[in-house]
Amino acid sequence: MSLKRITKELNDLGRDPPTSCSAGPVGDDIYHWQASIMGPPDSPYAGGVFFLSIHFPTDYPFKPPKIAFTTKIYHPNINANGNICLDILKDQWSPALTISKVLLSICSLLTDANPDDPLVPEIAHIYKTDRAKYEATAREWTKKYAV
Amino acid sequence: MNQPITDASDFAQTAIPQLTQLDKLLRCHICKEFLRVPVLTPCGHTFCSLCIRQYLRQDPKCPLCLNELRESSLRSEFLVGEIVEIHKSSRQALLDILKEYSRTESKGDSPLIELGSQSDADDDIQILATTDRKSLRPSTIGSSVNRVTKLTGVRSLLKNHNEGNKSKQHMAQCPICEQFYPIEALERTHLDECLTVQSLGGQPGSKTSERKAPSPVPRKPSPPKTVQYKHNEDNDTSSHVERYINSSNSGDRQRLPKVTFASMSVAQIKQKLASLGLPVNGTKQTMIARYDQYEMLWNSNFCDAIEPVDVNELKRQLLSWETTQNNHGSSNIGGISSMMKRANGSKPYQKLLADFKNDKFERKSWIQMFRQDFKSLVKEARRQLIKETTNEIESQKDNTEETVKTQS
Repeated sequence: MSLKRITKELNDLGRDPPTSCSAGPVGDDIYHWQASIMGPPDSPYAGGVFFLSIHFPTDYPFKPPKIAFTTKIYHPNINANGNICLDILKDQWSPALTISKVLLSICSLLTDANPDDPLVPEIAHIYKTDRAKYEATAREWTKKYAV
Repeated sequence: MNQPITDASDFAQTAIPQLTQLDKLLRCHICKEFLRVPVLTPCGHTFCSLCIRQYLRQDPKCPLCLNELRESSLRSEFLVGEIVEIHKSSRQALLDILKEYSRTESKGDSPLIELGSQSDADDDIQILATTDRKSLRPSTIGSSVNRVTKLTGVRSLLKNHNEGNKSKQHMAQCPICEQFYPIEALERTHLDECLTVQSLGGQPGSKTSERKAPSPVPRKPSPPKTVQYKHNEDNDTSSHVERYINSSNSGDRQRLPKVTFASMSVAQIKQKLASLGLPVNGTKQTMIARYDQYEMLWNSNFCDAIEPVDVNELKRQLLSWETTQNNHGSSNIGGISSMMKRANGSKPYQKLLADFKNDKFERKSWIQMFRQDFKSLVKEARRQLIKETTNEIESQKDNTEETVKTQS
């Protein structure tokens, strides 16, 4: 089932691509994709293009896909390895979700970080106490790694 | 598996874009395909029976509203199932008609007139000769050549769809060509035919596609066929209606219970499997997984399906599932399986070998790849055979010579 479902999602992405994201398989391995997200214009990541790698488990969609940033990013919910702290990628996963919806959720995570459930406490602390500093650093990293 | 991927957005560009929503609503939110044996949850959501049962095993909540959900509270939804079947069978024809319609709408009358002028006078004569046809079309022929061609176009589309439709009513799917056939026909003749066709190098199912393909002759209106089509269509729709009316969850078969294997010994598990007529090989883990899968297939089939399939078909599905599990390298029985385990390698034959035990195995390319080897093996065998026979003859000769010598 996983193969069919992934093929269908790929097909759907081609027909109706989500705004500001794109995704597709790496080589001929349909279980391994890469994706790109444009930094949302109303965020300090604006102007950057962020790459992610996606691994589908063989029992997808019963288990969530594994998604990680391959581009360095300064964000309270994304750590240095690119791991993302997002509920729908963990316990809140539902088989009704699709890669397209997950990528859009990641986009909105870039706009609205969740400092109360941080993956990198230091960044979360700065985010909460000195928002201007956080934004400046995020912009700087974006310019450095994602442009 | 080679079925074309369809999507609700197919209808978006047609004259009736609302159909996109209908198409979307009739799909399962887990597999994203059209609902197969739909079941209803207490929270009012519908999924394929197998999809939701498989999901609930790891997470007891509804995938859509995340409310708590137990397998025992699922109820079959025969009506939705029949609606899906009807939608599936008329979908392509509907799309074709809508496309044709929007094409003629946008381009005006010119393409139709062209079509009309292409058809020779014979067409008109044929039309005039059949009274049947006239009764269907009250307007006079001369004034509406356009209309005639339009109708024939649409009719031939419907006819094609109708032929394709017949195969869907039956229960068992051929593992080779993936078409549906009545179980008896499948077991008796079709499987053999399909295998032969495949080994001869033909496309499996090419016979049927030849039959289905519209003839290169310009489409002529053929009234008897049209009548037949209408007749069939009536039968077809009423069969779904009747199937629904006559359906009931009679519970002829008992629901298979969930078993807590943790407290059971291997011997007890084997006994349990044997009592259901299931294989008892493999490790404890394998056997437990086998029972769980069978329980799911069984309950989905006998508790939810409007027309349950045979127990043998369930066992075939179980076997097919198990081979795909083996491919992922969890358990092993030796021989081919262990070869398959090593089959992750880069050589092309290893890739082919990975599917050796399941339906996807490509016999044709396998045969082609090893044609030389097979040939030399056959040669070698023949040579041995000849050697042996000549040896025998020679030894016989010797014997006779010896006897002659002793006699003299």
